[in-house]
Amino acid sequence: MNADIYAILLLLVVAWPLLLAIPALHSRLPWSRHLAIIPAAMLTVLPGDASLELSWLLFGTGFAVNSETRWILLMTVAIWFTAATLSKPSMRDHGNHATPFFFLTLTGNLGAILATDLISFFSFATLMGYSFYGLLIQDSNDEVRRAGRLYIIFLVVADLLLFEALLLAAFTTEDLRYEAVREAMAGASSLQFYLWMVLIGFALKAGVWPAHLWLLATYRSVQRSTALLLMGVPVAMGLLGAVRWLPLGEFDIQGTSEVIQIMGIVAFLYAAQKLIRRPALKILPAWITIAVTGMFIAALGAGLAHPAIWRQYEYLSYPFIAFMGILLATLTFFTSRLQDSPQSINLPSPRMAAFHLWVARCFNTLQRWTKESLFGFQSYWSSTWLKTLKQIQRMLDWQKPEGFVGEWSARITLFVLVGLALAWLAA
Amino acid sequence: MNWDAWLPLLVILSSLLPGLIIFALAEERVRLRTVLNLSGALIKLALVGWMLWGVYNGNHYETRLALLPNLDLVLRAGPLSLFFVTLSAVLWMVTTVYAIGYLEGSPHRSRFFGFFSLCVTTTVGVALAGNLITFLLFYELLTLATYPLLVHRGTEAARRAGRTYLAYTIFGGALLLLGTAWLYSITGTLEFAPQGGFLNGIGKEHHPALIIIFILLIAGFGVKAALVPLHGWLPKAMVAPAPVSALLHAVAVVKAGAFGIVRVVYDVFGVEFAADLGVTGPLAWLAAFTIIYGSLRALFQDDLKRRLAFSTVSQVSYITLGVAIAGPIATIGGVVHLVHQGLMKITLFFCAGNLAETLGIHKISEMNGVGRRMPWTMAAFTIGAFGMIGAPPIAGFITKWYLGLGALEVGQDWVIFVLAGSSLLNAAYFLPILHRAWFQEPPDAWPEEHNFGRKETAWALLLPPVLTAILALAVGLLVTLPFSPLEWAKLIAAREFYQP
Repeated sequence: MNADIYAILLLLVVAWPLLLAIPALHSRLPWSRHLAIIPAAMLTVLPGDASLELSWLLFGTGFAVNSETRWILLMTVAIWFTAATLSKPSMRDHGNHATPFFFLTLTGNLGAILATDLISFFSFATLMGYSFYGLLIQDSNDEVRRAGRLYIIFLVVADLLLFEALLLAAFTTEDLRYEAVREAMAGASSLQFYLWMVLIGFALKAGVWPAHLWLLATYRSVQRSTALLLMGVPVAMGLLGAVRWLPLGEFDIQGTSEVIQIMGIVAFLYAAQKLIRRPALKILPAWITIAVTGMFIAALGAGLAHPAIWRQYEYLSYPFIAFMGILLATLTFFTSRLQDSPQSINLPSPRMAAFHLWVARCFNTLQRWTKESLFGFQSYWSSTWLKTLKQIQRMLDWQKPEGFVGEWSARITLFVLVGLALAWLAA
Repeated sequence: MNWDAWLPLLVILSSLLPGLIIFALAEERVRLRTVLNLSGALIKLALVGWMLWGVYNGNHYETRLALLPNLDLVLRAGPLSLFFVTLSAVLWMVTTVYAIGYLEGSPHRSRFFGFFSLCVTTTVGVALAGNLITFLLFYELLTLATYPLLVHRGTEAARRAGRTYLAYTIFGGALLLLGTAWLYSITGTLEFAPQGGFLNGIGKEHHPALIIIFILLIAGFGVKAALVPLHGWLPKAMVAPAPVSALLHAVAVVKAGAFGIVRVVYDVFGVEFAADLGVTGPLAWLAAFTIIYGSLRALFQDDLKRRLAFSTVSQVSYITLGVAIAGPIATIGGVVHLVHQGLMKITLFFCAGNLAETLGIHKISEMNGVGRRMPWTMAAFTIGAFGMIGAPPIAGFITKWYLGLGALEVGQDWVIFVLAGSSLLNAAYFLPILHRAWFQEPPDAWPEEHNFGRKETAWALLLPPVLTAILALAVGLLVTLPFSPLEWAKLIAAREFYQP
């Protein structure tokens, strides 16, 4: 395909929704929300890779689409299209004050996906993050405002951390494209600091445990179309950012990578134990998101520990984020439908009711299965532990009569160890 | 003397002469006054544009007039001075348009615009000054030209603010005079010397005296630059009309102070000599303290202009910090903030003026839902506020980027935490304003609403903030273009401060 057409399309993906954010424009166009997504949708289906360099913009920015980016783009288009269709009629009104935020968030989201360097990613992610606040709190009640406050606090802190990381990267290398930064940071003296800034920054953005509070609060309070976007906008972009910014596949970062893996596993287990306690239907997707992001963080930790393996399987991370996004968005959609059903659907059709019942049954089965398997494992684990503890206790009991040995055990042990060391040295 | 030698003087005259004529105009000569104001501003812009092109291509423009034996009045257009002159010329033009709309129908407009022109004249004089005595002369004239603007409303609060302003600035001026005289007695010259200052090679026996002189000069300039604890006049001065506040905070007074600090560090002492004397470190810490202190104070203000005033206290110290870090990249960050802060802060003050003039809103607690009533004004305010926070790609981000990189370059990593803390505090005092404006329900009636038909406010009030907001965004987005503020700041650093 003609490179010029691709270049124009790449520019339009970002510029068109940005232009539509002007009220005078979107209020005159029917279906403006859907129209805004069209260039991105076209880019998703067109074959081949393409890139566009804009050296005059910011510190030199660029957009690119390739097979990896296309996965994320596909997910984003699907989620935004659904959100545009589902948005409340009031939000589609021309005079609605939340409408510009829809377009600005979309612009930021698409720009971050297509960005080829850290600064552009950061700029678009910032636009996306702050505009998304406008969508979050469009139903202005106390609960929503609280959730919004929590979101914005996490966002500000995350952006500050990422700005610091960006400075470290820029201080290390002048070329801020993803690949160059990966290579440069792998050998940098500020690697550890950079690593943690990036990880914490994106964990705050994506709502990874223990920074998951805003995610729960927002899932609990926002309307359905916005809840759908939660997966596609902050969470998926947080994970994508971590993949792009971290020096994965370059350097074996022992120590830190293990800590990251453990944190990911703990996040997963924490969310899993919450899930088996059957949380409220509306926040079920939030806990699943936390579990999945925990797993993803653990995978990133593994990638940092084993660069060769990461290089081999890196391409899977993009479809993983995309599928996860679509699945969780679908889950959010159905759970919120179930949640809303008594109010919004007065007389559900028999087919819809049967479908709802089927979905609910699936969830129940899934929960039961998880509970049984985890509790089964837990009972095995606890019985093994108890057995070991009893053995230790028996050993201690056995030592008790030997008062002298018990009292002097530490000293005797030390004496024996010193003796062994001396013997080894002498040998 | 050729044509080029007169250019700096012509730039000064382009606002001085219209100002003097305006003083003599009757109150009802509105059209003539407007023509004089705008034509003066346009001529100044054209002259500055001419000199910018010339300086970019390596030309020099200097006017030298004998003042006293061995002391000349020198006006010199170099990269640094033109940087400040351009800022003044552009923002004067915009502020003039705004002031015409703002003061429509109010009394004493001839007096106001007369002093307004004098204020810009003296600011340009400060910018073009080629030696410390010329600088001092225009710097003191600036104090005298701004005082009548500050007390223009004639209220008791305005007079009180004016008295405070005079007390602070005259005290600062006295310190400056003392420092300058002492310096002249040691060196026998006051000529600014790019590339290392004019104190290079001075004997060690003078070092203690030079440290005291440095403190005197910085304290003198620090009054106008609102360095803590010399900042007390600035929050009080917010009683002035919005165009005056905009000019004070973005172009004239605080910038003259900050510009003075740049001159002292680079063109009087020379950055390396100042670092050897051990004075740049404490200056950096003082600037850092001011940044945090100003932000903290801003956090607790309900009066919008007062919050913006404390924000200025904080933001102007970025310039001082950049200079005091004493490295090429940080200097670029500090110098470029002269323009960046000007664009962002003037936008915010214009918006505050619009809210006051259109709806009678003075307090943040009255701003609920104002974004729906005045979307363009609040859109401009939002850009200004996010710029102050340092969100990309607005001008403030570029400043923080270069300050951060500059600090890392010279191993002063602590500055990064100051920048982060400042950004956090900026977010804490700007985001609640935006939340109120955009997401809270508007009240049934505004405190004092004026009707402008289908428009949200008068064109003369609306266009200036929208234009400056676009500029604040553009200088961030188009940062690598040849005549962008950043590229010009790099030119300054390369030609005047850190030539290889």
